[in-house]
Amino acid sequence: MPPTPQTDGRPRSKQLWYAAVFPELAEGHSAVLLQRLCMHAQQFTSFVSIEPPNALLLEIKGSLKLFGPLKRLHAGIDARWRRLELQAYSATAPSTLAALWLARGATGDPVSTPAHIENLGRLPGSLAELPIACTAWDIERLQTLRAMGVTRVGELLRLPRAGLARRLGAATVQDLDIALARQFAPRRAFVPRERFRARCDFETEIENVAYLEKALEPLIARCAEFLRERQAGVQTLRLKLRHRAGPATCVDLGLASITSEHRRLRDVLAQKLTRLELEAPVRDMELISGALQPLSAGSLDAFAGRLSAGAGGRDSLPQLVERLRARLGEEAVYGVVSIAEHRPEAAWRRVQELRPASTLRAGEKMADPMMTDRGMPRPLWLLAAPLPLESGLILEQGPERIESGWWDGKGVARDYYIARQARGTRHSHGARLWVFQERQSKRWYLHGMFA
Amino acid sequence: MPREVSALADILADARVWRLKDASAAPTRPVWSTGCSSLDARLPGGGWPTASLIEVLLDDTGLGEVQLFLPALVECQRRASQGRTGEAPWLVWIAPPHEPYAPALAQQGIELERFLVVQPASATEALWAAEQALGSGVCAAVFLWLKGTDDRWLRRLKLAAEAGGALGVLFRPERHRFESSPATLRLAVTKGEHEMRLDLLKVQGGRPGPVNLGGIPLDVP
Repeated sequence: MPPTPQTDGRPRSKQLWYAAVFPELAEGHSAVLLQRLCMHAQQFTSFVSIEPPNALLLEIKGSLKLFGPLKRLHAGIDARWRRLELQAYSATAPSTLAALWLARGATGDPVSTPAHIENLGRLPGSLAELPIACTAWDIERLQTLRAMGVTRVGELLRLPRAGLARRLGAATVQDLDIALARQFAPRRAFVPRERFRARCDFETEIENVAYLEKALEPLIARCAEFLRERQAGVQTLRLKLRHRAGPATCVDLGLASITSEHRRLRDVLAQKLTRLELEAPVRDMELISGALQPLSAGSLDAFAGRLSAGAGGRDSLPQLVERLRARLGEEAVYGVVSIAEHRPEAAWRRVQELRPASTLRAGEKMADPMMTDRGMPRPLWLLAAPLPLESGLILEQGPERIESGWWDGKGVARDYYIARQARGTRHSHGARLWVFQERQSKRWYLHGMFA
Repeated sequence: MPREVSALADILADARVWRLKDASAAPTRPVWSTGCSSLDARLPGGGWPTASLIEVLLDDTGLGEVQLFLPALVECQRRASQGRTGEAPWLVWIAPPHEPYAPALAQQGIELERFLVVQPASATEALWAAEQALGSGVCAAVFLWLKGTDDRWLRRLKLAAEAGGALGVLFRPERHRFESSPATLRLAVTKGEHEMRLDLLKVQGGRPGPVNLGGIPLDVP
């Protein structure tokens, strides 16, 4: 008969965080060291987060089943740091900040026993005695608090929230809520800087690309498996083909979004390979992934969204873009954004990354409701450079004076018109044109066409 | 026999199979209003046919030929962003003769976050890209500008458009007017006295001939 779980009637938290503070780690080189410590910590849990400058957070609720009870697990993790001959102070609590604060509170006291708090109800009491410096807030906030006569977290918790928020900012109140597990603070999981590398040696030299493709299959399958195990994805891949003499041929792949999907990796590689012309027979090949990146729910279907799901196994946009780019080149596929700028040639730019919201700079817009009813229409085609025009224009609308850019040396002073070429002239019979007259030289130029 | 009946239904459901008696009836595939009532009246179903290939023949750009399709594209993107399922809102322009000017597109109401430009190095690559985009199922419309192409490729584009449910529009020089084409709809655009002139050369399920655009200025937003 399985033992019945013991409950003491008090609420238990859904999460349990173990924090370790390493006071020996100095500011400068701690990042690399912390990453190495993360890999050790990943033995105990899949969720480890780096807390600069010198701490780690581990979510261990899920690990209790495997390594539990809590005391043993906690001691196990602590023992790991001792074996590395690292001084560490640790604590376990139901919230991220409480664990960190408690661990910091233990710092400098080598005989203290680490705090293990599993119950939410014990949280305020155990935080109360901590000095406020444990919060690692900026020096200004701490000084303000000291000036108010507050030295312990407990005194801080007794202060009225509204006043606290007004004096010290909303972030302070939020931190307290997070520490008391009233509010959840997302943490970013650490993903190791590993790469996938797999090699395939051929018994004879290969001259046939189709054969390469076949030999690549198991490598791609292993790569997808490798990524899946780590809950990570890649955005770049490199295939290295070595020859008997001469430099290796490198096939570089860029993906439109982070992926670990077998089918996508295979499709893009296959597309790239069919375009490959081998200069020399291949002796062996190696598949190397780019840096691993965490797969978030967002990167799974950021802009394919419901469309790919609705289309029943059809492509998603990233897949289409990848296939096009694999064959036509990275630069050949792009989006455009409109920029709030008076000079027509500077009012737009190309964007390569097709997740626009994050790549937009200030003043750039994908769609602008204000633009739709702005005075003079803009032409659908813009010439790469204005073209000098002869006479014979019939001006239909205008002028719109554009005078801008004097500050960066590319100043313009132009009067824009919508015009039509008069009959009998050589140029674009009857087309509607966007033309301008340079105000200084009085010369006419063609700048766009209303297609 | 139920098995054979279903097989026949499958065949008839295939978009490549045309039933003669349906030819004059309204097509079952959705259409997009052109935004111009006199043009809608001349097109079967009352708008641009989706999941098909439209060919536009013209010798020069700047006649308002792209403008013909913009109201339909804006409307389609608007519907898609309102969350109607099954609407694929991406627009892909392949090998346009000049840079598509983002402020103009935004001014017309096109959602630029779902707009893609492809500039292939050759005509074959452009055709290949168009086939991929049309068949992908994520594109509402794919526009392709070409100097010339053969009948076989046009058929492939048409099949891809039908499979992917996208509207394919091919812009070609007017000299291809007398060549046979599998396109569902063929238009010739020429300059008129004050506005563009539109000739329907081939309308599946409709009547060819010039279209009076009814003085509605297509080229002024």
